[in-house]
Amino acid sequence: MNRIVKFYHEMGSPPSFYRITSHWLKPMLWLAIVLTVYGLIDGLLMAPTDYQQGDSYRIIFVHVPAAWMSMFIYGIIGISGIITFVWRMKVAEAVMMASVPIGALFTAVTLLTGMLWGKPMWGTYWDWDARMTSELILLFLYIGVAGIYSAYEEDPRKAARLAALVAIIGLVNLPVIRYSVYWWTSIHQGSSVSLMGGANGIQHWDMLRPLLVMALATKFYYIYSMLARAQTYLLKTERKKQWVLEAIDQQTNHNNPAGAK
Amino acid sequence: MRFWALFKRDVLVAWRKKSNIYQPLVFQLLIVTMFPLGLGAGAQTLAKIAPAVVWILALLSTLITLENIFKNDYEDGSLDVYVLSGMSLPTATLSKAAAHWLTTGVPVILFAPVIGVLLHLPAQAYAVLMLSLLLATPIFSLLGTVGSALIMNIKNGGMLLSVLIMPLLAPVLIFGAGAVLETTLGNSAFGHLMLLLGCTVLSITLAPLAAAAAVKINLE
Repeated sequence: MNRIVKFYHEMGSPPSFYRITSHWLKPMLWLAIVLTVYGLIDGLLMAPTDYQQGDSYRIIFVHVPAAWMSMFIYGIIGISGIITFVWRMKVAEAVMMASVPIGALFTAVTLLTGMLWGKPMWGTYWDWDARMTSELILLFLYIGVAGIYSAYEEDPRKAARLAALVAIIGLVNLPVIRYSVYWWTSIHQGSSVSLMGGANGIQHWDMLRPLLVMALATKFYYIYSMLARAQTYLLKTERKKQWVLEAIDQQTNHNNPAGAK
Repeated sequence: MRFWALFKRDVLVAWRKKSNIYQPLVFQLLIVTMFPLGLGAGAQTLAKIAPAVVWILALLSTLITLENIFKNDYEDGSLDVYVLSGMSLPTATLSKAAAHWLTTGVPVILFAPVIGVLLHLPAQAYAVLMLSLLLATPIFSLLGTVGSALIMNIKNGGMLLSVLIMPLLAPVLIFGAGAVLETTLGNSAFGHLMLLLGCTVLSITLAPLAAAAAVKINLE
């Protein structure tokens, strides 16, 4: 118990966060790469052909994990936004702002792969269907958080608190936006995976496996990318602090044992 | 009471500079002229898009006025005075929103039938159109105080304001324009209006708190 409490407190302080997580980057990246390669081979080559959609359904192995991540990351941003706003923790600020570009990227990937999937299946790249529209609105929410931060960038702490406020407002509004858009209209197919085993979802384990592998791969990629960005964020915002100078010193000595400056 | 003092002051300031009040209406008139020019003047085509256009124009014309809700007060220092006066900030932002609604929202509601006539909106839809705008314009003003408080010390923050506010207004547009559309099709708009009322209540409850938080961060 004591070690968990200690770990928890250490993760809240920028120097120890930087020290601990710098060991995590490589394993996370490798896990992400290996799982992506395996998932793509399994999904694109080995999984059985769909009886209705033929081979075009295979884009699901990119589309659905990206869509999950786009929503999952907004949740992370909302939670770290609340922590930023209430307790003003610097690490939470770093995690929040590091997650924004990754989440926006996954949202864009979801939209693009969805459009490519829509052309053979629905005969059109874009249709103002509920899921597509709410995903597009999600992209706007990401842009809003990034936009307010960059407008106040010269004062990063203030920028982070305002961005946190925008993220929280978005989080409160997300259910309203989602349901309003759903009641509006929908031609999108239902959920692909349901825990209760719905009749419309994927039934076949050979199809489900690569999907879950890809979902894990995107999670590990997110952890890798988020930690790397959060570290850079902390180095940048704390650049006048002693620990940053020491960390940079260590890095240069490590790369350059002769000590030539 | 401070709420009313601030409210009266804001309304008076807006009233002295009348362009604040008629600018959104002129904007609506200008844009609505573009629709027949671009689409063709056929009454049927225009009537079909009328519910959406009247609504979007109300929204856009309000949007261009939002930037200044806090900007002038921030620049001349009166915002600091409100904070120092010991007035609770959510009350102050609610008062600002109320004054903005009276000077922008109400003219927009009253002007909507004119835009409706220009677009051949079917006769049975006018009551619902005005009712839906009566429920929605307070939301515009309330979310406007939030957006305006977020961007008050940014130069040219108008674009950012739109990016911040528009996604939040999507449900309002769906329910509001939906209500008018259902009426023109001969259906009941009750459900849409109730959902819109829900949005109004939600924003009256939460928006002043969010706006106050943004003001507080910006004045630190």
